[in-house]
Amino acid sequence: MATTLATKRLSKELAKITDIMPDGLTLVSATDFTSWTIDLTVLDANPLYLNQTFRLKFLFSDKYPMEPPEVVFVSLHEPPRPIPMHPHIYSNGIICLDLLGQNGWSPVQNVQSICVSLQSMLTGNSKNERPEGDTAFVATNRQRPRDINFYYHDDKV
Amino acid sequence: MKVTIKKWNAVATWRWDIPDDDVCGICQVHFDGTCPTCRYPGDDCPLRSGRCGHNFHMHCIMEWIKQDSAKGQCPMCRQTFEWNDSKSATDPAAQMRNS
Repeated sequence: MATTLATKRLSKELAKITDIMPDGLTLVSATDFTSWTIDLTVLDANPLYLNQTFRLKFLFSDKYPMEPPEVVFVSLHEPPRPIPMHPHIYSNGIICLDLLGQNGWSPVQNVQSICVSLQSMLTGNSKNERPEGDTAFVATNRQRPRDINFYYHDDKV
Repeated sequence: MKVTIKKWNAVATWRWDIPDDDVCGICQVHFDGTCPTCRYPGDDCPLRSGRCGHNFHMHCIMEWIKQDSAKGQCPMCRQTFEWNDSKSATDPAAQMRNS
């Protein structure tokens, strides 16, 4: 059951985004239904992210969309793809967003809606900083993003 | 002229009584199609409506509700998902209409 649902849903999503991709999003690769990469830019003129492009990596389990995909920013030298500065994005690309955790996820979310949420998360940010405890977290974390119980230091950001 | 009808076959079409362009939010398949596990729409792959007014293929919403993380909530509005057991969406016979 789960495998069929995951592949059928992802093939529908892929057909849709191959057809029309929303502004600021580019599908980089989607060779199978386990891992996709998408480039993202911020749509407004937020000086923090001006002229920058960020790369997102999606990993889907066969329980998608009952379980959230694992979504991280990845960094690359060529073409330049930095990890965006944000109080909820660790310097290793791990994103702290309730939507991507077991508690905030809903199966009506999809790849496109996640990307749009991330765009708006960046658009609304004015702090040029990493999360509290970034250095220690990046040095010691061996957990997969979805298994981490984030402590939300500040829900207002 | 007198015509005697010796035999006739009735043909009817049906569709769910919900807006045309609606898809199941979980599998993103049109409600006139089946959920990803079924082959034939209709009685074998019914729709269920929540009291909150959101519709899903029964198999899709059951799959979600059995997840711990669902906490019994509607995927659309996060209200507690309660079956709306009025005739409107649960009894396909009540939905039959000629078109």
